[in-house]
Amino acid sequence: MNAKKIYEDFKSSNVFYSLMGLIGLIILASIIAPNFRSLNNFITILRQASVLLVLSSGLTVVLLTGGMDLSVGATAGFVGCICAQCLKSGMPVLVCMLIGLLVGAVVGCVNGLLAGILPSFIATYGTNWVMSGLAVLVMQGAIIYDLPEGFTNISVGYHGMIPNLVIIATIVVILFWVLLSKTTYGRRIYAYGSNPTAAVYAGIPARKFMVSAFVLCSVCAGFAGMLMCARLNAADAAMGDSYGLQTVAAVVVGGTSMLGGEGGILGTVIGAMILTIIINVMNLIGVSSYAQGFVIGIVIIAMVLFDTFNKKKQARKVA
Amino acid sequence: MKALDNVDFDLREGEVHILVGENGAGKSTLAKVLLGAYKAEEGEIRFDGEVVKFNGTKDAIEKGIVAVYQEFTLIPYITVAENIFLTREFKTKLGFVDHRRMEKEAGDLLKSLNCEYINPNSFVRELSVAEQQMVEIAKALSFNPRVIVFDEPTATLSEREVNSLFEQIHRLKKENIGIIYVSHRMQEFPLIGDRITILRDGVKINTVGINDCTNEELVNMMVGRDVSQVYVRTENDHSEIALQTENLCDYKGRVKNVSITVRKGEIVGLAGLVGAGRTETAELIYGINQAKSGKIMLHGKEIHPKTPVQATKYGIGLVSEDRKKQGLALSESIAMNTVAVSLTKLFPHFFMSYKKVNEVAQTYKESLRIATTSVKKPCRDLSGGNQQKVVLAKWLSFDPDVLIFDEPTRGIDVGAKMEIYALMDRLASEGKAILMISSELPEVIGMSDRIYIMHEGRIAGEVERKEFDSEAIGAQMMLGEVAK
Repeated sequence: MNAKKIYEDFKSSNVFYSLMGLIGLIILASIIAPNFRSLNNFITILRQASVLLVLSSGLTVVLLTGGMDLSVGATAGFVGCICAQCLKSGMPVLVCMLIGLLVGAVVGCVNGLLAGILPSFIATYGTNWVMSGLAVLVMQGAIIYDLPEGFTNISVGYHGMIPNLVIIATIVVILFWVLLSKTTYGRRIYAYGSNPTAAVYAGIPARKFMVSAFVLCSVCAGFAGMLMCARLNAADAAMGDSYGLQTVAAVVVGGTSMLGGEGGILGTVIGAMILTIIINVMNLIGVSSYAQGFVIGIVIIAMVLFDTFNKKKQARKVA
Repeated sequence: MKALDNVDFDLREGEVHILVGENGAGKSTLAKVLLGAYKAEEGEIRFDGEVVKFNGTKDAIEKGIVAVYQEFTLIPYITVAENIFLTREFKTKLGFVDHRRMEKEAGDLLKSLNCEYINPNSFVRELSVAEQQMVEIAKALSFNPRVIVFDEPTATLSEREVNSLFEQIHRLKKENIGIIYVSHRMQEFPLIGDRITILRDGVKINTVGINDCTNEELVNMMVGRDVSQVYVRTENDHSEIALQTENLCDYKGRVKNVSITVRKGEIVGLAGLVGAGRTETAELIYGINQAKSGKIMLHGKEIHPKTPVQATKYGIGLVSEDRKKQGLALSESIAMNTVAVSLTKLFPHFFMSYKKVNEVAQTYKESLRIATTSVKKPCRDLSGGNQQKVVLAKWLSFDPDVLIFDEPTRGIDVGAKMEIYALMDRLASEGKAILMISSELPEVIGMSDRIYIMHEGRIAGEVERKEFDSEAIGAQMMLGEVAK
C-alpha cells in the first residue's frame, strides 16, 4: 500500500516523465549501439555533459523565476576569452578565474536589471549579441592556444578514473539543488516564479530576486566558459555559441516550465543527460554530423510534447 | 462523488430562474449540461417538449441556448463588432470580411440594449468591465436566443452597473426569453427573480417562488444548517490606536485627504462603491504605491512604507482583493503558500525544513478547516473558499498587528464566509487592528465596529456601530452625502 503511494507521489512529481524519457532513451541506445553500455562510454558521457550541466543549473534558476536568459552561450565565450587573455598576460590562475567569475556576475547584474524593465527574452537576446561582440573584440579575431597547465588541469585531469570535470559539475549541481530546495531563497524563487504579483504582495523583494537569479546564471555561464577553455586548451570568441540554445533545451526538456515556478535541478540534470546521450549515440553509430542537428531538433520537440501531454492528462484527472 | 444527482429543473418562457448553492453544489455543472458543454450520464433534456441531445455547445446554440459567462470570453485586441460576430463574420461577395455590415448589426444590437454609447468600432480592451459585460450580452443576443444563462454576472460590477444590467434582464423577460441566473448574492434575488432552485452537493433541495421564502430559510437550505447567526461579534475593549492616516493623498488623484483611525481590537469597515478609492488607500498603507502627501502612523509613530517588504516589517498585512492574481502562487503547494510571508521569520538562517513547513500548514489546515487531503497539494486544486482560507493562513502564520482585508469574502460560499467572519472576530478579540474593505453592505454592517464611507476618493462619513443604518450608509456610498 505504501509502495503504491510512493509510486503515485513520484508519478505526480515534475521529473517523472522526463525520467521515463531518459530511461527509454538509455534502453533504446543500448539496443542500437552495442558499445554504448561500456563503463568507458558512461564516463565519456558524463564528461561531455559536464559543461552543459554547469550552464543549465544556472539557467534553471532564471527559468524558475519566469525569466529567460538567451545570453548564456555568449557569456560563457566572453568570460572564457577574458580569462584566457589574463592567463596569457601571466596572472596567477586563481586570480584569472576570480576575474572571470566577477565578469560573469557583472553580466548577470546587467541582464537582471534590464529584465526588470524589458521582457528578459529580448533583453538577453540583446546582451547575447553584445557579449559575442565583446568576445571578438577581446580576442582581436585571433585564437589563443597553450594555456598554463595549472589551468587546463582543472578540466583535463582525473581523480582516479573520474574526470575532474565530472566532479566539478556534480558539485555545482548539488549546490544548486540545495539552494533551490533546501533554502528559503530557493523556495521564494519558486513562489516568485509561480505568481510574481502575489510574491510582491507577500513582501518578497521582487527586483532583488530577479537580479540575483540572473547573477547566479551568468556566474555559472562564466565558470562553464572557463571550463571549456581549460578543456580545449584554447580560447576562441565563438566557442560558447553552440551552447546557448542547447542550455535552454536541456532545462526545458528537463520539465522546467518556461512560465516559471515549476521544475527544478533534478529535471535539468535529466534534460542535460538526454541531450548528451543523443549526441553520444549518434556518434557511436556513425550518424553524419550533418544530420545530427535535425535529429536533436526532432527529439527535443518529441520530449517536450510527451511531457506536455502527460501533464495535461494529469491536470484533467485532478479537475 | 457525482457533481449532479437526479436533478429536475424547468424553465418557463419569460422567466428568471435563479440557481443558488454553495461552491461545488453543482450550479455551474447543471448550467454546463444545459449548454451542451458537459454531457449528462443519465436523464434527458427537453426543449419545447421535445427531447434534445447536445453534442457540444454548438448544438445548444442552434436551439437558442446561450451563456453569458462570469469570466469574460471577449478578445481584448479586436473590436466590439468583431467580437460579437467572431467565427460568424459577414462576408462580402468577394469573400472578404464585411466590416461595414458587422458594425451596423453590432450597433443595432447594442442600441437594443440601450448601449448606444458603446462604439462597435472600439477595441474591447478600451471598455470598462461593465461595458464589456454589455458586449457579452449583445453577443449572446446575436444568436437570437430563447434561453440565456447568466453565470455570476454581477461579481465584478459596481452597483450602478448592476442596476443597468437588471434593466436589461427585465427587458429580455418581456421578450419571452427564459433566463437562468446563477448567483451568490441574495440581495439581488427579489429584484429580478421569479423562482429559485437550491442545489446542495449535487442534489436539488427545493424550488420555491421568489416571495415564498425568507433569506434565512434560503441560506439554511443552501448550507444545510442553521445560519441565523451569520455575523457574530464579541464585545471587546478598544481604546489604543494602532493605525492612523492623516490627509493621505496618492499621485493619481484616487485618494484624497483620507484620514482614518483603526484601534487595537477593532474592525473598521471601509464602505463605498467600486472605484471609490478604498483599495487604493489600502495600497498606500501597504506600500504597493506611495503617498503623495499625508501621514501614515503606526502605534503613534510615523512610518513610510515604500514597499510591501517594509510594510510587512512594520507588521502590516494585506489580504488582497484578487486572491488568484495577488494572493496565491497557484502552482505551489498549500503548505508553501501558508508560509509565503512568514518563511524568513520561521527560518532566519537561510536553510529550511519541509517538515516544519508542513507542520505549520497542518495546524492552519485544521484550525481554518481547509478542505484538502494534504497540505502538499497545489493551491489550484482548491475551491475559491478554501483558497481564501489559505490566503488567511498565510497572514495568520505571519501574525501582523494590523490586517487589511480587501473584499475578504468575494465569490465564496456562505459556509466559508461564516468561518471567515468568525475568524475576523477572533482576531479582533486577540487585539489585532482590522480594516475591512467590502462592497457588500450587509457584511460591512454586520462585522464592523465603525464604518468609514468613501466616495470618489474622499471619506464622506463615519458611523459608529450603534448608529448603523443600511439605507443611510447605502445612500452615502452612492451620493457622497447623507440622504435627507
